Formats: sequence, structure tokens, C-alpha cells
Amino acid sequence: MDIIQQPLRFVPGETRFGQRYVWDVPIRLTHWVTAFSVITLFATGMFISWPIVGPGTGEPANHFLMGRVRQVHFASAYALMFSFIVRGYWFIVGGRYARSGMPRFWDRRWWNGLRIQILEYMSVETGPAHVGHNALAGVSYVVMVGGLGMFQILTGFALYSQSNPGGFWDSLLGWVIPLCGGSFHTQMLHHLASWGFVIFFILHIYIVLFGAARYKNGLAGAMISGEKFFREGDLDL
Amino acid sequence: MASQPSTYDLIRQHGIDRRTFLNYCTRITAAMGLGAAVVPDVVAAMENKPRIPVIWLHGLECTCCSESFIRSAHPIAQDMILNMISLDYDDVLQAAAGEQVEEIRRRIMKEHKGAYILAVEGNAPTKDDGVYCTIGGQSFLEILKETAADAKAVIAWGSCASHGCVQNARPNPTGAQPVKKIITDKPIINVPGCPPIADVMTGVLTYILTFDKLPELDRAGRPKMFYGQRIHDKCYRRPFFDAGQFVEQWDDEGAKKGWCLYKMGCRGPSTYNSCSTIKWNEGVSFPIGSGHPCLGCSEENFWDNGPFYERLSNVIVPGIDSTPDQLGKALTVLTVAGVGAHVVSQLVRTPKNGASPEK
Repeated sequence: MDIIQQPLRFVPGETRFGQRYVWDVPIRLTHWVTAFSVITLFATGMFISWPIVGPGTGEPANHFLMGRVRQVHFASAYALMFSFIVRGYWFIVGGRYARSGMPRFWDRRWWNGLRIQILEYMSVETGPAHVGHNALAGVSYVVMVGGLGMFQILTGFALYSQSNPGGFWDSLLGWVIPLCGGSFHTQMLHHLASWGFVIFFILHIYIVLFGAARYKNGLAGAMISGEKFFREGDLDL
Repeated sequence: MASQPSTYDLIRQHGIDRRTFLNYCTRITAAMGLGAAVVPDVVAAMENKPRIPVIWLHGLECTCCSESFIRSAHPIAQDMILNMISLDYDDVLQAAAGEQVEEIRRRIMKEHKGAYILAVEGNAPTKDDGVYCTIGGQSFLEILKETAADAKAVIAWGSCASHGCVQNARPNPTGAQPVKKIITDKPIINVPGCPPIADVMTGVLTYILTFDKLPELDRAGRPKMFYGQRIHDKCYRRPFFDAGQFVEQWDDEGAKKGWCLYKMGCRGPSTYNSCSTIKWNEGVSFPIGSGHPCLGCSEENFWDNGPFYERLSNVIVPGIDSTPDQLGKALTVLTVAGVGAHVVSQLVRTPKNGASPEK
């Protein structure tokens, strides 16, 4: 009965895991702000593109459904943008794990790490776990989150600027529209690129779960607690 | 130059009274988005300045710009416009023909060197030395370059000259290119639309005559006063858009009640033009006002952004004939299939490898 209250005791010399605080507050905060804003942006964006439900008949003055969905989309876009600014700032001034996994295309060792990681996911080879991000994770975050997110922020705020010609966003990002081949084409590219997040989302969730099951290093919870476990031989300590 | 008749002189010769003249000046000033204080400037310019010499070239086009131009909204506009500018050379409207008319063009180019406005309707095919459009044995490409060389500025009338329009749409067999791609050393005013609104065309010319300078242009080289805002932002059906009340079928209840045409493929949200303010045919209506979605005719590549009655166009990737959503869904299914295959491969392998890599 009182067994459940027994404190755990390690036998000296048998400790096999270390624990490290890897993801500090700005990283975890921007991760979740980005995650929730992207989900909201995708859902509201799809609605704006094709409003599946309407308020029905009645005077338009009594309804504001499309307007409200657009407001939520724009508010989430601001959240995403500020999240990116904070994360970008932390990339520069944060600790070593803030830059973890950054692609180093000029470094042969980075390419080797990428190769090993791909083989490992294909179960051809077994490599050590990383406390930070491995090379494949790093490059996918830079391209699929950073790159795609930047593209969406640029095209999105450029499209947003259209309702206020000559305003702040127009003077800042108005050049994006002619570059993308006109307003309509900008909208199509913005719409198409949003599917990239769906693909990233599926792969990200799966790889986190797979990694947590395979390396048993607390990967799945690390973005909440910030703590990860490591063993002898793990990289990026 | 001073001996040349002003616009007002010619208007009086045509028997138009001063009241109608002032009426026109006030109207066109308002259309340019300028205040009442500017009306005297417009009047003074019309009364005193010699007409602007204009050479009006026609390349690959359908003449809808000219058709629109001669149907300007103001009751006396037909006379007014044709008198306001000295339309010395225009394939469609001039009386002369043949070699004689080409001679007139060369004469204007010499007499008004650096002072005339070159108005271009249509564009030039560039493939095979431009043989797909020749006038008087000379390719239009050559005529365009030759005539633009001594022009003060170039006005690209309509979507053909501004963006390329239908002859420039994929696969563009004649290599048709808009004016901006051919003439690079002259100021170009793009006045897109298929056709542009008559009052917009008149407004642009009146502005140049009044202020002796080109109107302020946006990033796409269009006069800001007419192309500064989207159809969508001035559309009288906008409240239905914000409310979420959309036409779903051409004959449904929403269509009868005049709801927003967004889901019928309306390009109003991505089209810059004055249709929803100035309107057409003496301000009678415009496409959306008549229950038809905007096709976005004044936007770049509007023929390639089809189908016209669909919200999403096909993805501009060769060999892929699907909308962004179809492509996105296909890629999502592929990703899920890839993940599924990986799960299966792991389940198959695990018993052989043991439970964990760490042992």
C-alpha cells in the first residue's frame, strides 16, 4: 500500500542518463506561438479562400462572418511575425542550442551528419542521438518553417497591404506583388505555400514521436519542460 | 507652337458652348481625383496650351481601346477628346491611307521631335523578327522602336500594350511582348484594361495637357489616380463579402439579392481599376453591377489566371494541371503514405533488431 510513496533510489554506478536544460523559454514560447498561429492561419486561410458556411439571409449589416475570420487571420499573422522576430533575435543572442542544427553547407562534417541521419531514419545505420537538433532536423526547420514562414509573412502582409494603398505595409512590402507576378498570382502562391505547413506538420509530429520512442530521451516532452536526457556518446552536449 | 490652335479654340469651332466646356473640365478634374481648386488650371490649360501632338499606333490588338476611347462618358466627349489632342496619326481614325499616312507619321516625328506623345494600342510580336504584325511592309516591332525614339513619353493603352493580354498568354506563339519589354529608355504610362475605361483614357491625357508632366505612377507604371485602389475596396457589394453572403449559383437566391460574387471567381480582390467608382457607359454600370464577376482584365496575365469563374487558378508549373488545393491534398496524401510506409518498415524490422538500439 505505501509502496507507491517510496522514493526512488539509484544504485551508485548505475546511473545511465544525464539531464540537460536544452530549450530555454524564448525557444519554447516561440515554438508554441508559431505552432498555434500557423494552425489558425491555415484554418482561417482556407475559409477565406472558400467560405464553406455563411450566415444565411438577412441584412449584411447584421453579419460580419467573413470580416471576423479575416480579422483572426490577420491577428494570427501578427503573432507569427512577432514570434519569428523573437526567434530570429534569440538565434543570434541565445545560447548554443538556439542555433542548434543550423545548416553549415560549407562544412563537410555537417553533410556527413545529414547523411548519417537520413540513413538512420531509413534504419540502415544506427547513429548517436543529438541533444540539440540533428542536421536533417536543422535544415528542415530552416527551410520548412523559416523559409516557408518568411515567404508567407512577405506575401501575406503584401496582400494585406492592398486594402490600404500607400500605407505602412504597402510602402514596406508593396514590391512583393509585382515580383510574384501580380496580385492574383501572389494570392495563389500564398495559398499553395500554406500546404507546405501541412506536410511539415505531419512529418514533424511523426518524427518527434518516432524519435522519442527510438532514443528514449524525452524528446516529445522537451518542448514543454525544456529538459532532455542524454546518454554516454550523445552529440551536441 | 503658339500659333497652333488650343483645345478650346477647336471646341468653339465645333459649336460647343462654354458652359458645356466648363462642365467637362469640372467632371474630368473630379475623375482625376483632384479638388475643385484645380478646375481653373484645367480650364486655363485647355484655353491656352496648344494641343498635344499624338501618334497613335496599332499593333496586335482588337481596337477595343479605340472603341472605348471614342465613347467617353461626357455628352460632348467624342468631339472633345478628338479635339483635345491632335491625333495626327491613327490607323483607325485618320482620313489618309497608304504611303501618304506613313509620310504623316514621319513628318510629325520630325516636326515635334521630343515633344509628341506616342500612344500604343496593342503590342508587338517579337518572334521571327516580328513578321506576325506588319504595317506598310514594315514590322510593327520596328515601327514601335522607330517612333518611340523621339517621343516625349509613351502611353501604353490597354492590357495588350501594358501587360501583353491575350496574344501574350501561354503559349504565346508569336512572342508578343508588352511595350515596357520593348521600350526601356522612355517614360511609359501603363493604362491597362480590356479596354480601359474611356474616362480614364481622357483623364490621363487631360492631366498631361494641364500639368505638363506625367501623372504619378504606381509600381506597375499605372496612374495612381485611376489604378490606386482595388475594385474590391470600392465595390458596392463589399458589405456582402464582409458578412459572408455569397452567390453560389448563377440563379440562386443570393444572385437575385445581389450578394458578393467572390465564390463565382470574382477577381475584384486582386484587380486595380476604377470600374467600381467611375463605371462604364456614362456611369450606367460595371460588370459586378450587372451580376457578373470581375475578370481582372486590367491585371497582368489575366488570361493565364483562369478559369475565370473559379476562385483558384491552376498552378503555374508546367505539366501540373491542378489548383493549389488539389496539389496540396495530393502532396499531403503522399506524405501520409510515406509516414505509413515508415511505420510498417519499423514494425517489420523491430523484432530482428531487438527492442532498443541501446544495449
